[in-house]
Amino acid sequence: MSHLLAVRGLVVQAPARGLKIIDGIDLSLDRGETLGLVGESGCGKSMTCYAIAGALPRGIARTGGSITLQDDADGGTGSPAKPSVAMIFQDPTSSLNPVHTIGHYLESALYRHQGLRGNDARLEAMRLLERVGIDRAKSRLRAYPHQFSGGMNQRVMIAHALAAKPRLLIADEPTTALDVTTQAQILYLLEELRAETGMALLIVSHDLGVIARLADRAAVMYCGKIVETAPIGALLERPAHPYARALIDCMPTIDPDDLEPPTPIAGSVPLLDNLPAGCHFHPRCDRGGRDCVSAYPAPARIGPGHAASCYHPVRP
Amino acid sequence: MNPPLLQARGLQKTFRLRSGPLARSVDHVAVDAIDLDLAPRERIGIVGESGSGKSTLGRLLLGLTPPSAGEVRFDGVAHADRRPGDWKAFRRQTSLVQQNPLSALNPQMTIGQQVAEAVWVHRLADRHGARDQAAAMLEKVGLSAELMDRFPHQMSGGQRQRVVIARALVLSPRLVVFDEAVSALDVSVQAQVVAILRSLWQQLDLAYVFITHDLRIVRHLVDRIAVLYLGRVVETGDIRSVYARPRHPYTRALLSSVPSLDPRVRNVAPPVQGDLDPGKAARGCAFRSRCPLAIERCASETPRLRRIDQGHVACHRAEDVRPLPMATAEVA
Ligand SMILES: Nc1ncnc2c1ncn2[C@@H]1O[C@H](COP(=O)(O)OP(=O)(O)OP(=O)(O)O)[C@@H](O)[C@H]1O
Ligand SMILES: Nc1ncnc2c1ncn2[C@@H]1O[C@H](COP(=O)(O)OP(=O)(O)OP(=O)(O)O)[C@@H](O)[C@H]1O
Ligand code: SF4
Ligand SMILES: [Mg+2]
Ligand SMILES: [Mg+2]
Repeated sequence: MSHLLAVRGLVVQAPARGLKIIDGIDLSLDRGETLGLVGESGCGKSMTCYAIAGALPRGIARTGGSITLQDDADGGTGSPAKPSVAMIFQDPTSSLNPVHTIGHYLESALYRHQGLRGNDARLEAMRLLERVGIDRAKSRLRAYPHQFSGGMNQRVMIAHALAAKPRLLIADEPTTALDVTTQAQILYLLEELRAETGMALLIVSHDLGVIARLADRAAVMYCGKIVETAPIGALLERPAHPYARALIDCMPTIDPDDLEPPTPIAGSVPLLDNLPAGCHFHPRCDRGGRDCVSAYPAPARIGPGHAASCYHPVRP
Repeated sequence: MNPPLLQARGLQKTFRLRSGPLARSVDHVAVDAIDLDLAPRERIGIVGESGSGKSTLGRLLLGLTPPSAGEVRFDGVAHADRRPGDWKAFRRQTSLVQQNPLSALNPQMTIGQQVAEAVWVHRLADRHGARDQAAAMLEKVGLSAELMDRFPHQMSGGQRQRVVIARALVLSPRLVVFDEAVSALDVSVQAQVVAILRSLWQQLDLAYVFITHDLRIVRHLVDRIAVLYLGRVVETGDIRSVYARPRHPYTRALLSSVPSLDPRVRNVAPPVQGDLDPGKAARGCAFRSRCPLAIERCASETPRLRRIDQGHVACHRAEDVRPLPMATAEVA
């Protein structure tokens, strides 16, 4: 069976400036699977999401590679419809239109995706709100986003995404703007919904803790490239790319025995218009050799489902 | 023990809210009956969910907003008794690093100018001297003098954050309030800023209040912590003992909400439901609607801060709060 999502050699550019924001990445996602995408600010996580959702911002275009979405399991009608993709974002309150009620927002999505109107749409909107954990759904339909907390608005965004009956839900930093208590609630909700609907989940975060909680597999991005992909356990316990290891080492924990402060990564992320030759990480890398500046390293197999683009991968 | 540098007693701030022109106004108590002492060079963390009153408390401590009740003393002098001329001296000895540091810089000034400006507005040096002081301070936060003539947009988020810190510390203040100073940054940049703050604190005569909702970072930056819930301190104590053994159900819920890096700990039910609910009743524990341990007494009697072990906890059932499962023990 083919993958639900297959991204091959994706290149995304801002043609006006000729910059490659995404430089030839491969990703795949199976039905019901959760893939985590992690990396520092500016590495291209959001652009990858927009490209997959077919919603790149103006002035930015896909200039290479392919994105294939296919769901043979869908419908069973013989003609596999293109599976639907929905997306939720980091800042729920500013992504919602302040002049519309929550009800209007959900009901218009239900009309668009499922052709529901009037009472049918209202009942389904109420059911969705209840499903995402908003009680008193009936009165909440008449509320405006500014009357809700950030966590409640993120639940509304999730309900809105569900209206599309997505086979793939893309969650781009869905909890970064929220409190840890609310984050725990939203992550739990996403996992429940994934299990319930069988949709696949692409979760994006710069916080490996968030990725660790949900993902089956993870991909680590740096400067528009994927430097390592691995099953989540292998990545956290045996990271092979020095960048992946450095990201893990700079994660603070709450473990009372872990007294050392997090270890910063030397230097800073290079600008897109000034990328180091060879491996883009080499100026910050503590394992780099002379070969690292020659050419960009090809992905090398580390273990089952585990590959890293590095000349000197960390061996356990 | 040293006499306190900063002392707050019975601090309260009430905002009068009106939801529409005809609506009756309601009082919202953002900060409620807070006592706080900070010795010279002491570092305290203030944590709590969004809306718990952290920023309001920070502004009250620095005299940037007047309290509705209670008082704040700095070096023994109450803010309310300070004459206009004395405020200037107070401002020179204190500073605030604002919640949104990336927009705190002026896009039209070089970073060297912005750090130097803090020096010469207080007439502490001429322009030349101010520039030298700025360069020295930028060096301390790990920014070389070559960057002095750059504009903020030519720098990364982490570099800009260090500029904001340099500007806050250039006058060698004795007290700084950091309000979510690292929350908007990547983990890697956070780790850099943490390392810089730790080393600066070693070198300076600095006490600070570190406000954050990030429980992972704050423990590396402070000696003590106070947990706020709807404007009240519900638990306070030495940072290590609070993390090793939280005594308030809310502190425990906060700590157990933090995702661990252990992929075996997955699909964990959220420790608390719901959000802060500001429509709290006048009586009883404000946390009770979300508390797994709530009993009848929690509705009838407001828990007061009381001493348990080395810290203070406002909960009727503090003795019944279970220790956190140790991440390491759980895996073994
Ligand atoms: N309109 C644009 N024109 C040119 N470059 C852009 C544009 N928008 C974004 N970029 C660049 O594309 C790169 C990838 O941006 P993207 O938003 O995907 O990063 P990200 O990994 O999601 O970061 P963050 O964690 O901050 O959200 C960045 O270097 C950014 O500067
Ligand atoms: N100027 C104001 N007028 C009216 N209400 C206010 C004002 N400032 C704060 N509040 C209210 O006081 C409460 C505490 O706000 P505060 O900003 O201190 O919280 P916080 O803990 O800093 O939250 P966050 O983590 O979101 O920054 C909130 O309910 C807020 O809406
Ligand atoms: S006082 Fe009661 S409701 Fe409040 S935290 Fe303690 S047990 Fe929970
Ligand atoms: Mg992004
Ligand atoms: Mg605040």
